[in-house]
Amino acid sequence: MAIAKKSTGLFFLLPGVAFLLIMGIFPLIWSLTLAFHKWKAATGVGKVFVGFQNFIDILTQDSRFWNSLRFTVLYVVVVVLVELVLGLMLAYILSEKIHFRNFFRILFLLPMAAPAIGVAFIWRMLLNPAAGVVSKILASFSINVPGLLTNASTAPYVLMLIDIWEWTPFMFMGLLAALQAFPPELYEAAAIDGANGIQTFGYITLPLLKPIIITLSLLRVIDAFKLFEIVFGVTSGGPGSSTESLSFYTYTTGFSYFNLGYACALSWVFLWIVLGISNIVLNRFRKEA
Amino acid sequence: MLKKKKVTVGRVIIWVVLIAFSVWTIFPFFWTVITSIKIPGEKFTYGFLPYIQFEPTSQNWSNMLTGPERERTLLGLRSSIVISALSSMLVLILGALAGYALARFNFRKAKDIAVWILSNRMFPPIAVAIPFFLMMRSLRLLDTLPAIIIAHTVFNLPLAIWLMQDFFRELPKEIEEAALIDGCSTFQTFVRVALPLALPGIIAVYILCFIFSWNEFLFVVTLSYKNVMTLPVVITGTLTVVGIDFSRIATLTILAITPPVILAAFTSKYLVRGLTLGAVKQ
Repeated sequence: MAIAKKSTGLFFLLPGVAFLLIMGIFPLIWSLTLAFHKWKAATGVGKVFVGFQNFIDILTQDSRFWNSLRFTVLYVVVVVLVELVLGLMLAYILSEKIHFRNFFRILFLLPMAAPAIGVAFIWRMLLNPAAGVVSKILASFSINVPGLLTNASTAPYVLMLIDIWEWTPFMFMGLLAALQAFPPELYEAAAIDGANGIQTFGYITLPLLKPIIITLSLLRVIDAFKLFEIVFGVTSGGPGSSTESLSFYTYTTGFSYFNLGYACALSWVFLWIVLGISNIVLNRFRKEA
Repeated sequence: MLKKKKVTVGRVIIWVVLIAFSVWTIFPFFWTVITSIKIPGEKFTYGFLPYIQFEPTSQNWSNMLTGPERERTLLGLRSSIVISALSSMLVLILGALAGYALARFNFRKAKDIAVWILSNRMFPPIAVAIPFFLMMRSLRLLDTLPAIIIAHTVFNLPLAIWLMQDFFRELPKEIEEAALIDGCSTFQTFVRVALPLALPGIIAVYILCFIFSWNEFLFVVTLSYKNVMTLPVVITGTLTVVGIDFSRIATLTILAITPPVILAAFTSKYLVRGLTLGAVKQ
């Protein structure tokens, strides 16, 4: 296995690990110490140690935090489920021999390669109530939607739709790769035994895909939790705070109100939530590594 | 007979789904291109066939590239290219070294180290944005290229190490062992034997990191405000200046979207591998 002495290996490993420790872990620890302070940079008053006060405030008094958590969780659940179902359907269809298969494969992955903020602005144009093309198309079907984005009950779902547009390709590409790795004999055997399409899918394809479905969904959950650009670009958290994600609320607290201590506490609460989910994924990777 | 008919119905459904999904995928891009070649006054019209329904214009593009917006556009383009190119290069150097170490040297805790490195990728960026801002402020690096290059390197390095480790493991060990026996030092073996063999993977990691850095938004918007501004941030600038200007947003967005989209189309297999952190290999 080993090519040379471990001590030589350390020279290879050290630069990268040191960089991650200094620029990745040190800031996190700094953020944790700030989380125990009250520090509103805009007021000119310095840091004051307040113990767990920020965390207590977040968990017991901050309705905006709970609101952003509720929105983010709902968002994550809806988009990951829809993307999984759509992606599975498309992958299943494209795993058969079809003309222009490679063309479709590349076409479908384009949305996720674009910068998310660009995607947000494209949709902002399309959905503009006065000049957007979507309201015009809907109007031609006599559907009148004066303001999908100015209505607190519809705006969250519009953002989810944009996410689904952007990230369904992720599920689709991942599942397609997995499907293509299956040996064709599997399906031939099922066909000989007289299984129809739905039976083959339910008893063979789905069970075999289960591990990759779980991994892809968890990765997507972690990523969707960080939702920021679409909110920033399309609604800025509005109307009211109906589309405020955890990332966006933390960002606003830190960089608009300069309430730095509180923002750090928020980001640590956020971090704990995400770490819980990423641990599950990391364990799966550890087993495969 | 019955069976054959069933198959045809199935085929029709497949093609209907495929075409519907293609339209859904392509329409937003298509409409942005159309908007960028319409006279600004015509943005409220809904013609989508150039020359037939409306007269296309290059006015928006020349405004952006040579007119009053020139400075801002060029700043964005320059920042985007420099930051993506340099941070990806830094990621590649650190990532190839560390990935090689994890693949080829028997560390007792190699697996733990690798998983710890990967865990860095999962942090929400906003969690480090505030300490990063404070760090860069005290180093007097706010609003400079190094600040963002460093941020993007931290952001991309875990993935690069993880993928490089995979690429090196897929190489046959025997060639490197032969080089060592012939008297190469470990470092020579790495540079002259392992790196050239892993070249396709190295290029793929570079392109992936380039795309992710190009698309990154949160660190750029929190660490810079005037002198450094990548294209994704330049797009958001269109909001504050004159309300919402469709023509400008459309042209800038196309400029910002085209490079990563083209790169992704050429490296589609690696893009999936990278986005799934190596869980899916094609």
